[in-house]
Amino acid sequence: MNRRDFVKVIAGTLSLCGCNDVISAVSKQFGQDIPTTLSPAQQNVVDKDFHFLSRTTYGLWPGDLEEVKKIGRETWLEQQLQPQSINDTLCDLRARRFETIHHHFSTCYEYKKKTLRSEMVKHTLLRAIYSRRQLFEVMVGFWSDHFNIHIEKADCIYLKATDDREVIRKHALGNFRDLVRASAISPAMLVYLDGKSNQKQKPQDIPNENYARELLELHTLGVYGGYTQKDVFEVARALTGWRYHRRKRNVFFNAHLHDQGQKHILGHTLPANGGKEDLERVLDIVCHHPSTAAYICYKLAKRFVSPTPPKSLIASMSKVFTDTKGDIKAVLRHLFLSEEFYTPTFFAQKFKRPFHFIVSSLRFLAADTHARRPQINYLERMGQVPFQYPTPDGYPDEMQPWLGTLLWRWNFAHAVAANKISGTRIYLKKLIKSLQVNDKEDVKKVFAHCIGRLPTSQEQQIFSEYMEDKDMKRVTNQQELLGLILCSPAFQRY
Amino acid sequence: MNITRQGFLRKLLFAKNKQQNTLVCIFLRGGADTLNFVVPYGDDDYYRLRPSIHIAAPKNNKRESAVRLDDFYAFHPKLSPLYPLFKEGKLGIVQAVGSDNTSGSHFEAQDQMEHGSSQQQLIGSGWLGRHLRLHNNEHKKAISAVAMGTTIPESLRGAPNINVIQSLRDLKIQTASGNSQSARDAIAKMYGIQNSTLNQHGQDTLGLLQKIENLQKSEYHPENNADYPQNSFGAELREVARLIKGQLGLQVACIDLGGWDTHFFQGQESGLQAGNIDILAKGLAAFDADLHRYKSSVTTIVMTEFGRRVYENSSMGTDHGRAFTFFALGEKINGGKVIGKWPGLKNTNDEEGPGGLNVQYDYRSLLSEILRDILNNKQLAQIFPGFTPQKIGLTRR
Repeated sequence: MNRRDFVKVIAGTLSLCGCNDVISAVSKQFGQDIPTTLSPAQQNVVDKDFHFLSRTTYGLWPGDLEEVKKIGRETWLEQQLQPQSINDTLCDLRARRFETIHHHFSTCYEYKKKTLRSEMVKHTLLRAIYSRRQLFEVMVGFWSDHFNIHIEKADCIYLKATDDREVIRKHALGNFRDLVRASAISPAMLVYLDGKSNQKQKPQDIPNENYARELLELHTLGVYGGYTQKDVFEVARALTGWRYHRRKRNVFFNAHLHDQGQKHILGHTLPANGGKEDLERVLDIVCHHPSTAAYICYKLAKRFVSPTPPKSLIASMSKVFTDTKGDIKAVLRHLFLSEEFYTPTFFAQKFKRPFHFIVSSLRFLAADTHARRPQINYLERMGQVPFQYPTPDGYPDEMQPWLGTLLWRWNFAHAVAANKISGTRIYLKKLIKSLQVNDKEDVKKVFAHCIGRLPTSQEQQIFSEYMEDKDMKRVTNQQELLGLILCSPAFQRY
Repeated sequence: MNITRQGFLRKLLFAKNKQQNTLVCIFLRGGADTLNFVVPYGDDDYYRLRPSIHIAAPKNNKRESAVRLDDFYAFHPKLSPLYPLFKEGKLGIVQAVGSDNTSGSHFEAQDQMEHGSSQQQLIGSGWLGRHLRLHNNEHKKAISAVAMGTTIPESLRGAPNINVIQSLRDLKIQTASGNSQSARDAIAKMYGIQNSTLNQHGQDTLGLLQKIENLQKSEYHPENNADYPQNSFGAELREVARLIKGQLGLQVACIDLGGWDTHFFQGQESGLQAGNIDILAKGLAAFDADLHRYKSSVTTIVMTEFGRRVYENSSMGTDHGRAFTFFALGEKINGGKVIGKWPGLKNTNDEEGPGGLNVQYDYRSLLSEILRDILNNKQLAQIFPGFTPQKIGLTRR
């Protein structure tokens, strides 16, 4: 039995018995640990590979940088674009244990809301922290915001796990039209944006425009994408009649609730009596519209490159998007290998939202966590618990809305560094040893490990002043210093 | 630098008017029997339906008597600390407010009211949460929303920034060594290196912490002989008053006051409910007195999930009902009178669920006026989706 098979067997057994301590121990034994030597960046500007990794992951796990330096960015990216090729057993060990995330939506109705909520959030958090398919997880986060569903609305809480599995995760690196199609008739979306109330049964029935509007405004063309209010109305008409059935466990088209008349959408005509084909026609029109390519590529570039991405990049990405008919992998490959992506002024300019900040802290420190309540509390106080954003635009990508909760970032930073979060542990001694920290000077190695460059002279001076009258052999002082690095403005960015 | 005279004057004016508007929301958990708060002594049915738990009509020169408001209504004697505020026109009272919730469940009715929804409409976030998110030009401050207690109230769910505290002492940086000063100095230096938006906010946050610490250095002396009740409600109001005076950008504070589920031996002029009313009234009166210098910027509202049955039950208490009396306190409140018609105590529709006072105003209409006229948030359609507010006239416009 080789190591991989052994891990698989153990994973199967452990995920059943669900013993956190054993999982932690096994994970450490089989690679989810800090390598014995780490070689952090040694220059004054952010390392190119570090930049690449910090945008394609939720933060570098110890050893990631060394691996990319060994195999090269392109090879690493190709692996990430084929997530199935990456063994993720150790992540599965932690994240697959929650029953409700595997269930069909109709079964989820048998669970308490509290259980569903907690399992979905834990699952999302643990995957983001431990998955080796990091680009995939980052894209799951991107699409979860793009096709935001607030699980507290109506029955969404019973339906979101299915949406997460069958829409977001299934198509995160797939084809854009497939993704939109899956979302359009996902039970959670039918509830969240009222598609299930959109019908034309009697002549006087007026369609419910909620989904149609967001489909155009948020999911595809973008608010300035060139559609009219008439287009919204016509799309709503074309999408009348889609329902899901809780007990029959399916999504279906009810022709009796469908508006069978002719529709005019963005210069196209949908002939009368199109029935369920109307959905396909609408998707063809909106997903292949030039505004959609531009809007999606703009959003991706804004997320992965810069808050103000260069027009040249959006243009070339849009071309790839159009040429490949919305192949998300192709667009991402183009983005991460583009010249613009490596513009030094873009390095470390993106702001980590609370979820990203917390996950990246845990990843850089190779923390052992089971995402228990105290961990989630920090997310709650910083205002970014997954699936809790009320409006369909999803958690904002901009920095401004998140600046009111820096205090809780600082408290999280110090709490995680000092092992004061119940259910979450870090092994600072081991990290310090791997980074070969021998004297006070070497704080720069810890800094470089987390930030991707050496501290500036000003930053170095601040750390020196802090350590001046302190015995740095004392664990609490080491922890506090690590907390400070996580508090720094530099660590709030990526 | 080129400053015009006009610009200079505007700056001066702005500096003076910089006072943050604060909304304090007091939620009476358990369904308060507000029929015994603002007593309809002019309605004989009230005395007929409540033979053993009514509040007697006001009598002059008698201690512990109800306080006459007009020819029809009187305050419970324990509400008398609020009478001067009513006379001044600062205390607004709206009769027969409620939601369309007929479940009679505390949990459902509270949730619905805090989410700002209709009965079948499930909105997960709170109305205050949505207000704060939409009011994005102001929510950058670290202390914009505070919930006193240990949990986030549903009304604040979805807010960009929530501090759940029991006292100001909770707002601090907690480090490994416990001695946070040197760590805090280091953070201050790190955020002082550059002048970016992020660093600016870091410094603002530190400034706030410093202010909070300073507030705590000296013992707090409420102004104007304000006498807060010696209990957690009094202490929480005091902390909110300190935060307001500290000018930390507080936009919303939520305080819960429990103990209103009076199924048994509710009492009359004295007794179980009277004790609670006493705490509420003394607390609010002290809060108002203490904040007299901030009167134009602080508005306080008092609500509950539902009123109680108009008639007493066999254990000399009241069961869950429907409409309740809504209170709002502040200079921008159109107070000094009871707004709304008296719906009467007949026809209380017991067969359709818990009977009680008929609802004449949806609670969201009141909240809409406060949000729009006092907190300057015009995006009501997003705060109360699918709801068209009715004009009530609770605010002075």
